[in-house]
Amino acid sequence: MIYLAMFNWAWLLGAAVIGLGMGWIAVVRRSEGLSPIALRRIIIAVVALAGVSLSRVLPGRFGYGLDLGLVMFAVYLLGCALGSWLRYQVISRSASAN
Amino acid sequence: MNDFSIWVRKWWPGVLPLALIWAAAVWITTVPVEQDLAAGATAALKDTVLDKTQIEMSGRDVRFAADAFSEEGRHSAVAQVESVSGVRLVHDETRLIPEAKPFVWSAERDVVRITLSGSAPLPAIKSRLMDAARAISGGAEAADHMMLSRGAPPRFDAAALLLVDQVGKLKEGKIVLTDTAVSLTGMARELGSREAIAAALKNLPDGYTVADNAIAAPPYIFRANNDPVAQTLTLNGYVPDNSAHATIIAAVGRKFLSEKVVDNLKASVGAPQGFAAAVILALGGLSRLSTGSLTISDRDVKLSGDALYPVAAEQIQADLAPNLPQGWKANAEISVKPVASPVDPTVCQQLFAEMLSRGKIKFESGRATIDADSMGLLDRLIETALRCPTANLEIAGHTDSDGDAAANLALSARRAQSVVDYLVKAGLPKERVVAKGYGAAKPVVANDTEENKAKNRRIDFVVR
Repeated sequence: MIYLAMFNWAWLLGAAVIGLGMGWIAVVRRSEGLSPIALRRIIIAVVALAGVSLSRVLPGRFGYGLDLGLVMFAVYLLGCALGSWLRYQVISRSASAN
Repeated sequence: MNDFSIWVRKWWPGVLPLALIWAAAVWITTVPVEQDLAAGATAALKDTVLDKTQIEMSGRDVRFAADAFSEEGRHSAVAQVESVSGVRLVHDETRLIPEAKPFVWSAERDVVRITLSGSAPLPAIKSRLMDAARAISGGAEAADHMMLSRGAPPRFDAAALLLVDQVGKLKEGKIVLTDTAVSLTGMARELGSREAIAAALKNLPDGYTVADNAIAAPPYIFRANNDPVAQTLTLNGYVPDNSAHATIIAAVGRKFLSEKVVDNLKASVGAPQGFAAAVILALGGLSRLSTGSLTISDRDVKLSGDALYPVAAEQIQADLAPNLPQGWKANAEISVKPVASPVDPTVCQQLFAEMLSRGKIKFESGRATIDADSMGLLDRLIETALRCPTANLEIAGHTDSDGDAAANLALSARRAQSVVDYLVKAGLPKERVVAKGYGAAKPVVANDTEENKAKNRRIDFVVR
């Protein structure tokens, strides 16, 4: 994991930037978003993929692709969370100023 | 918290660009990751001794194939590859090299090349042996037919290196090391090489033994050629050491009459047992020949040439073989020199005087037995006597003045009689020769010094 992060830091940075942007937009976006059931399914799928990755079932280059994808996805989620939190802070500060 | 779960549900559109850069990342980084990990694995194995190492990456997984030289080495190599940072899985395809039982290694030399074959325990030892083979090849090709095997005896490298050095001393041959037993066959490069190899084998590491040493040496040659026209005795070949050399040269001085000696002898080890004794005996035979050559090759003595008269030819042939040291063989091809034209008694006397001025008939101290060293001179005197059939000879014995006069007289008479007996045996008619002893009565010089006394102790041939 550390090796992946060090070798592919630029790509992970890209994933974090996308996540940060997405999180920033999500706070003010007017849409329904995913249904709780879809979200749950996605969570189950990601956990399953993480299980596959940790069990090292996928061979060679596929295994490498999965590992890299999961790490990028995790970084994306962190970026989203940070982006959303920052936007929320900005909105609530301006609301209290008004 | 409720807000957060709403945001999370709105994060999904970013997954699309994320998927795109993930695909790009996989596309672009897979090969560099594989190269980086392969380099890391290779570096980790730098100090591990393996043969035929193969590292193939697929993503972060390694296919690791190699020949290891021990079980521990194999385990530690796999562990080292596993410990490389970033490696996910190691597919272990390592194996142990086969065990050789018995562990056989050989070094062979022929005219064009040195070939090392059989088993070697480690690549480093293999290359050291090849370096050693190249160092001693002297321009010949060095061929490596060795394979790697386990099961080498302890200190194999020291033993094998020593044996490669010995191959350098061979003209052709083979040295085989079977476990700790050495066997050698072939022909040594030069005289002494066989002995040098035998001496070097004593330095084999403990536990190693010489099972069979069948190294042959080139023949040990000694040659002597007697040329009466140039009055030259030429000596070629080998002598065991300086003392044997001096002994042989001294014997030549006693046995040959003032011939010029061309001494081309070289000292070398490897002489057969009894060499000096055999050479001196055979030189005695050569000294009795008018023209002749002596060749000694190992223990074979070949004497050929012309004797001065028929009886001498028989004597030389009969004397050689029985008196040689045990194990020696003699081959004498003695012919007889054509009889020289007769001369009148005056010339005969001149010839006797001239010959006796060049050498003296010697006897054993205080006795009447003719010294073997005087045979060459006696034969020449007899040849001359046979050339003057009309002359009667007095063989006159003389002593110096030391000791009792009566004893001296008797001794001189007995010595003269010995010579007469010898002449008669050689074929001179008995009635033509008479022995006479003069004791100290007729000195040629005053008996005042040892040198002069030696001159007075003599046998004279007087034509009557």
